[in-house]
Parts: sequence; C-alpha cells; structure tokens
Amino acid sequence: MARLILVFNKKVIKDYAFEKEGMTIGRNQENDIVIDNLAVSGFHARIDKTADTYILTDLQSTNGTFVNDKKIVSHRLQHKDKITVGKHMLLFAMSKQEQSRAEEEGLDRTMVLDTARQKELLAKQAEEKGVDIVVTKEKIGVISFVDGSDQGEIQLSKKLTKIGKAETSEVRLGGLLMPSTAATISRRPNGYAITSTGGTKVKVNNQVIKESYFLKDFDIIEIGSYKFQFYTQEREDEK
Amino acid sequence: MRITAAALSDTGLTRGGNEDYFSIDNSTNLYIVADGMGGHLAGEVASRVAVETIKKNVNHWVTNDSPEDELFDFPDRSLSKRANYILSSIKLANRLIHEMAKEFAEYKGMGTTVGVLGILPSIAIAANVGDSRIYLIRGDTIEVLSKDHSMVTEQVELGLISKEEAENSPLRHVLTRNLGSLDTVDVDVFEIEPMNNDRFLLCTDGLTDLVSDEEILTVVKNGDDPKPLCQQLVSEANKRGGHDNITVSLIFVKKQQDVSQGITRRFWHLFKGE
Repeated sequence: MARLILVFNKKVIKDYAFEKEGMTIGRNQENDIVIDNLAVSGFHARIDKTADTYILTDLQSTNGTFVNDKKIVSHRLQHKDKITVGKHMLLFAMSKQEQSRAEEEGLDRTMVLDTARQKELLAKQAEEKGVDIVVTKEKIGVISFVDGSDQGEIQLSKKLTKIGKAETSEVRLGGLLMPSTAATISRRPNGYAITSTGGTKVKVNNQVIKESYFLKDFDIIEIGSYKFQFYTQEREDEK
Repeated sequence: MRITAAALSDTGLTRGGNEDYFSIDNSTNLYIVADGMGGHLAGEVASRVAVETIKKNVNHWVTNDSPEDELFDFPDRSLSKRANYILSSIKLANRLIHEMAKEFAEYKGMGTTVGVLGILPSIAIAANVGDSRIYLIRGDTIEVLSKDHSMVTEQVELGLISKEEAENSPLRHVLTRNLGSLDTVDVDVFEIEPMNNDRFLLCTDGLTDLVSDEEILTVVKNGDDPKPLCQQLVSEANKRGGHDNITVSLIFVKKQQDVSQGITRRFWHLFKGE
C-alpha cells in the first residue's frame, strides 16, 4: 500500500495510507487529505489508483499542482515523488512490493540501452559468473577449387553468391550443361547455406542436395565437372 | 513470379493503443513491420514515420533506378543494389526519427524497431533493426532471417545465460539498437535466393514472445491463403494473454515451374519448332 506524507515547513504533519481507489486533496473538509491553507483550492487535486499505478490529476486549481517542482496537469506517480500544493508538500511513497512491481512493469515496456550501459551491464554479469568476454572475429566463407581448374580460391564476400554460367555470377562456371545460375551460397544468421536452383545436380559430400543445405567447414561441393571445398576463416580487417 | 501477401495488426488484450505499424507495397514487392516505443503517442509516430519513409524512398529509387552512390549514406558493397536501397532507406528513417525526437519535446525518447522484406525474382532481402523478426518457411523448416538486437540475445551469445533463461529474463524487452536513439544505426541485412513455395513471415515481438517457432510453422503451413493465417497467428498470441501489440505479415511466393531450366531452356525453341 502506498503512503502520502504531508510536510509543512520541513515538519511532518500527517501520514496518510492509500486505502481507497481514489483520494482527493484540498481545503474543503470533504477531501480525504484536508490542507487548511488559503493557497490551496477547495478541491485542489486527486490521486487515482488503477492496478499498480497511481495517477495524480490537478483539478484546475488556482495555484496549480507541482511534482518535483514541475507543474503538472496529470502525472503517473513514482516512488519518492514530491507533490507540492500551495506551501505544503506531500511525499509519495510506495511499498517495497509496489516498487518492484512498478520496476518490472517498466522493463516489460520496450526500451533501448545505450552502448555504454550495455557494456557495463554485460561486463558486470560476466564478472559475477566468472566468464571472460571474448569478442570473436567475424568469419568469412571461402571456396577452394580442387578439380584442377584455374579458379583457385574465392572469398564469399557478398551476402549472396551466385554460381553459374551467367556473366553476373560471382563464381562463373563453364560447360554446355551449366545453367546460368546453378546454385547460390547465402550468408544467413546461422551460417552459410548453399541452395540448388535447379537445372543441374548439386552435390555436397557426394549427396545430391534438395533446396538448401547449411555448409560446414571442409564440405566438398560438386557442380557439373567442378569440385570445390568450403571452409571459413577469420576475416582480415579491411582498410 | 506471383506473390500473395496479407498483414494484420492487433492491439492485443492489455495495451491501450497500438504502436505497431505495417505496409504492403505490391509495386516494389516491399513488406514492412515496425514496433514503436515512447510515451503518449510518440511510439505510434515513430513506427509510422519509419514505415512510410522506407516505403517512399525505396519506391522512388526503384522508379528512378538510382545509382547506389547517390543514396543516403555509403552503400554496402557486399549487397545487391536493391538491398542497398532498403539499407539506405532504413538509415534515412533512423536519422529522421532521431531529429524529430530531438526537436520536439513530445517526441523525446521515441523510437521503433523495423523488419523489412524485399523480393525480386532472383533475390529476397531481409533487413532488420531491433527485435521484430523475419522468418523463412521453406518446406517443413522454419528459419530466422533476421537478428534480434536485444540484451538477452547478447547475453546468450556471450554464454552468460541459457536460451531458457532468456525467455523469462526481465531484460527481454531491452533492445541494444532501434531507429531513433542515435543519429546512425547498424542494420543487419541478409540475402537469399527465393524458391518456389517459399513463405515469409514478418512479425513484432507481440507474436514471438508468446508463440514458439514450431507453433508458427504449424499455423503458416495450415492453408494457402495468407489472410486467414494472419488472423490465426494473432489469435494464438491473444489466447496466451496478448500482453503486447501483435503485427504479422505473411508473404507467399510462387515461381513459375520451369520447364525450361538448364539445357532444355537453351534448346527449348528448337523443340517448339521456332
């Protein structure tokens, strides 16, 4: 349960427990929190409780309602907020339970952490768990021809590498039966995948592949009379 | 190539408003979802600005066949031209949202995730920032073509927590990247060769928080019309509490069955007697 502590001239006057769905603040005796001071309007402000949140609303008072020295019309109260009406101050305090619930709810809403705080948090966690944070270098795929053709090694520097007869292919293969695109190798979130695009058989480790196959280091790929090996290596820093 | 696409956005069961936004552009085969964040109406503004900016610019560049070097920011040489259009439009949207958030008090702190899919006959491009996902459903498999930019993903990658712990972590909604927070943004882009009968799903975390990949696969394969399947996906999330806005977009690809592949293609005219 939340509490409201009425303070005047740095002295605590009264401590109110928030036992209802709503509480009103004002000079009129019908209010839940009565403040007998001319700077306070008859019905000055109200606080409503919905689920775990407390909403403070100014009731168009003459002198206004302030939270942490800022004038508000309506405001979602946080633990330790200072509400000022006239010369009186009300300190809003949530119970431990409510505080942790509010915190959880806050986290349930999507938010972004800046890079510095991300690193701080991860480093702290790693320390607690005794894990060393090692930044692994990004790996890049390479295909190496083993069929005696003069293609040599080709780095898969594109996200999508087309293999076939077409001039626009990143890896050009000849031969009468070679289609314009025989296969593609794409770099995906889970690694490199080779896709047979039809027209000719694509074999990986002597097995004809249907559609896609995730490549592992040292897999042997055969397309037509061509044969090459796939492997990954650490990317050299560019520039 | 024939593409059928549908999308649906639902407020869910507990949120007051819908901060998600989506778009389907059949002229450029461009599909976008975004999940906005920020107080009052700012989240809704951020997701809408992102989607409209990306759609408008990609459309403009495609129409003009703009050279890659004339786009916003530097092109990525490992990507196709169309992928660079998408990449550049996302970076532009980021700058725009960032400037708006800086300029106007009511937009302070606003941001959005974004998931973009572009399809050409020989290439499908998936680009994302934040935790909105792009799935490829091919045959009986489901594969994520995007990266979650969230704290829990980093924690899992560093071996600090397990995948199970990640699902229940209080940090699961804390992103490491979005559009709007900083004046520049890193975008993850993937390219694949689309195959006949490929199905793509773009969605916000309102779905993936509550419905597993396997369950998504089952629903997506449960028919051939994307529209009712979108409704089924949203219903699944709402059945489990619908604690967030839910947006899904399904894109089904049909490629003409090639009688004329490889050798037959080159001699087809002879067979036909032309």
